Amino acid sequence: MVVSARITNFLAYSSLTVSRVSHLGNGSLRYQWLLCRNTSLLQLRSKIQTVVPSITSNVSVPKENIPTADALVRPDLEGLYEDIREGLTNTQPELRQIAQYYFNGEGKAIRPVITMCMARAINYHLDQNAPGVIQKQKKIAQIAEMIHTASLVHDDVIDVADSRRSRPSVNILWGQKKSIIAGDFILAMASGMLARLQNQQVIILLSQVLADLVQGEFMQLGARENKDERFAHYSEKTFKKTASLIAYSCQAVSVLSGADSTLQSIAFQYGRQLGMAFQLVDDLLDFIATSAQVGKPVAADLRLGLATAPVLFAAQKFSELNPLIMRRFQEPGDAETAFRLVLRSDGLQRTKELARQYCNDAVTQVAQLTPSPYQQALVTLAHQLLHRMK
Amino acid sequence: MVSRSCLIRWKTRHLGSSIHPAVSFSRSLFASSQVYQTSWVQAVSNAEKVVGFPTSFLSLRSVANDEISNIAVYLKKLIGTGHPLITTAKNLVYSNDKTHQTRGLLVLLMSKAAKRESGQDILPEQRTLAEITELVHTAHLIHTGVINLNTPNANLEMGNKMAVLCGDFFLAHSCVQLATLQNLKVVELIAQAISDYSTAEFIDIIASENDSALDRWSQQMTLRYGSLIAHACQSTLILGNNVELIESGKSFGLEIALAWQANIEIQSFKSNANRADHVLSKLFPETPFVDVVANFQAVRDRHVNAALKILTAFPQNDASLALGNIARALKY
Repeated sequence: MVVSARITNFLAYSSLTVSRVSHLGNGSLRYQWLLCRNTSLLQLRSKIQTVVPSITSNVSVPKENIPTADALVRPDLEGLYEDIREGLTNTQPELRQIAQYYFNGEGKAIRPVITMCMARAINYHLDQNAPGVIQKQKKIAQIAEMIHTASLVHDDVIDVADSRRSRPSVNILWGQKKSIIAGDFILAMASGMLARLQNQQVIILLSQVLADLVQGEFMQLGARENKDERFAHYSEKTFKKTASLIAYSCQAVSVLSGADSTLQSIAFQYGRQLGMAFQLVDDLLDFIATSAQVGKPVAADLRLGLATAPVLFAAQKFSELNPLIMRRFQEPGDAETAFRLVLRSDGLQRTKELARQYCNDAVTQVAQLTPSPYQQALVTLAHQLLHRMK
Repeated sequence: MVSRSCLIRWKTRHLGSSIHPAVSFSRSLFASSQVYQTSWVQAVSNAEKVVGFPTSFLSLRSVANDEISNIAVYLKKLIGTGHPLITTAKNLVYSNDKTHQTRGLLVLLMSKAAKRESGQDILPEQRTLAEITELVHTAHLIHTGVINLNTPNANLEMGNKMAVLCGDFFLAHSCVQLATLQNLKVVELIAQAISDYSTAEFIDIIASENDSALDRWSQQMTLRYGSLIAHACQSTLILGNNVELIESGKSFGLEIALAWQANIEIQSFKSNANRADHVLSKLFPETPFVDVVANFQAVRDRHVNAALKILTAFPQNDASLALGNIARALKY
């Protein structure tokens, strides 16, 4: 069972491969993402009768008829944050305070929403109605949110942040040392909960997320010398830091529902593609939002020294960006220069296009599930994500 | 923490380092005193032979990773800043008499001690568990070395960043390894140990008036160190299917941890120039030095004797003898 889980993951992960297409003529290399799916999914696709709503068309999905994912799974997520806080009460008062601080329910809860929506969609597809299953799937949503939050706590210390969600960050209120230990505590409690789900495969999947999160952070520390490797590096980092948690959570709930490896792969791929798109949209908005605001001329990522998709695309047009990327925009004026060049290039457009491709693929994945309000909501989620880019 | 080639460069470059190893952390693996605990070192070295223990399995195998070798660059910037991470890294990188990975060793010894038949060997899962125990402990050391910074300081901030990431790396690796053990109870036990050492950092044993000073010390040390060793011993017996010895293993782990920690406190207290700052002075204010030492030695010896008594439940073999020697060596 362990072996098949690994193979599933490998297939799922490798089914989106990067292919570099060399452009003859001007001698520069151009990145082209090819979406290759493993053959079993291809065979399945040809049997699908459902019409996949086209994202690129301007027709928007009528909102009155189709409930949002958020609304659909709200009953399932009722008390999610209370339950998480409850699980963190049994400890020293100060530790309890720090651990519970970010679970005040004011985050977007996008991960629990995606997880529960996928859970319901898969359950419907498999006609899985056992009450124990949905209870365990809710726990996965909790665990995923706890893992995510523990990483936020550590991120705030690493980035020397001073605020999060319009409140002072944990490190400001309690200092770095206690914050780090509190993050460990949250992680430990999540691991305990995971063990009590009594499913070996699920433990393997979600502990892989922990490894990916750390490795993503390390990848962010190191810059690639070779500019041709940079986009692949950025993509792998984005998977590990953002998409991994969503992908493995989706796969985990499908496992709990009794999904076979093909169905698990669909769940994983949806989570993965949506997660990648999510980060791309975030990276895009970092440029668009700040140019619209007065008094904030430079994107936050640039200030942190990070070269995200818009910058990497822009560097293909303006090679003068390459030294700036290598020195992580540390010189005075670097960030401003990069910002200007990105806006002048087609970087933002190409980022949008890439996000669209990921969303399309996500939708194609869940199109293979039996139609249901939940399956439709997963499609709508992808729509909504693209809508954020406008 | 560094790749193989970085490791070698690091070792040769910093042999003449000016950072004096005699830094007093009451939480350090070995006492700060110049006086070597020769009987302890002896007992541990002999014990390693019993289980065929590789002395530095931790550092090189799990971290031969390109991304991690980036850390070497950043770590060099920390030299001279006084960030605790440097000392921890030194202890991990330098493999000499001072840096036995004793927790892993205890787990292996426990695994072997419980085997009733002479032909039985330590299971691969038990060896993995020994490694996990060391990884978790190392993550604990690294994370508790994070400094509170009130004013911006680029180097110390980098030090904190490294400490957080390295600790996270070891914790994540532990979790992945734990998952491979295919034993849910063991996952739960080790998760509990991590939760316990986290809780321990929030116990203020000086200020609280509720229990006796000794009880408060015991409570904190149980959570901070005892839990991991006890749960690891318990887990290895679960993995070895030595059902009847599980409770004894857990109790032994706790007693030896408390005895060990008590001994560390005593040794560092005796050798520390600035005694007023030591935790024992704060726990027992207005008590003469010799009385504090004598009382705490009695505490230590009680735990050693308790450990030895529990050992009698185990089969008589090289491993259980080695465990007994280690326990007795703490009494010197």
